[in-house]
Amino acid sequence: MKRLLLFVLLSFSACKEKLPVVDDFGGAHYNLVNQNNQQVLFPDILKGKIVVMNYIFTNCPDICPLSTNNMRLIQQRLKKEKIENVQFVSLSFDPEFDTPAVLTKFAEIHSLDLSNWMFLTGNKSVTDAIIKKVGVLAVPNDSTVFKDGRKIYYYVHTDRIQLSDADGKIRKNYKGSTINVDEIVGDIKNLL
Amino acid sequence: MNKSFLLIAAITFVTINLFSQPITNHQSPITIKDVWARPGAKNANSALYFVVQNNGSKADTILGAKSKYAEIVEVHESFKRDNDRMGMRQVKFVAVAANSKLEFKPGGFHVMLINLLKDVKAGTSLDATINFKFAGKIKVKAVVQEMPGM
Repeated sequence: MKRLLLFVLLSFSACKEKLPVVDDFGGAHYNLVNQNNQQVLFPDILKGKIVVMNYIFTNCPDICPLSTNNMRLIQQRLKKEKIENVQFVSLSFDPEFDTPAVLTKFAEIHSLDLSNWMFLTGNKSVTDAIIKKVGVLAVPNDSTVFKDGRKIYYYVHTDRIQLSDADGKIRKNYKGSTINVDEIVGDIKNLL
Repeated sequence: MNKSFLLIAAITFVTINLFSQPITNHQSPITIKDVWARPGAKNANSALYFVVQNNGSKADTILGAKSKYAEIVEVHESFKRDNDRMGMRQVKFVAVAANSKLEFKPGGFHVMLINLLKDVKAGTSLDATINFKFAGKIKVKAVVQEMPGM
């Protein structure tokens, strides 16, 4: 019986060790705004919650929608399993285009459930600082110029969904467009 | 009187049928199926995906696409750079080899609908035309959805 108990305890601790801290936000505080144009202090606003976060730009027609749709699938799965205290976050690294109004429309057209999902944008220098801190790269590459002179950029960017614990420590990074939903849901359960 | 009437009727019949057909070469071995597009808001972008089947013994080439739903329509491809970085670039043409199937799919080739002229919502459809070097213009109707099967 004692051996069985020891085995269970060891197994449990082994599971916990599968998710070491890989990074954090360095104790910095960033002023951002959400899709409702409300001021948000990041990452402070997320404290106490497990966070599933991706990095996007809404002009991205192919990879970011895949990542965002995977966030939706994770959210739906957690709701189905009645797992709470998980916050979803999408941070734009193209804040000059992705205003709160654009992000609101993006969420609406993709029928996203914003009950525990926030979109963040802000000053470009601030979003750049955040993505640099966590090793996300977003470099303008191709672009389209419209007849009226407007220009939009397409970024080469890190394709990431990131999992943080309730203390704001980053525990695991996944490839956003191809993430295995079972894997991250299992990892979230490990953090509960 | 009867001859004139018949002549006019015949011309009308032929004309209506001629212009109601898709702008397609009916001898073409090219078929396009499983066409879908992502939802997108007005002034944002969307992407069009489909499967091209070339049953002919000669290769063909996709030269471009058009749609009244977007200000600009271009053929693009997503590409991987390093381990976890993705990018996207315009391609001037896409070859479709003889007796082959080519898939425009997320993470690969797609038709970019740039600056949508109105909201494109899930559950609706949109029209587009794919332009081939030999097969000519083939009209398609895309189902708007987040992902097939959703």
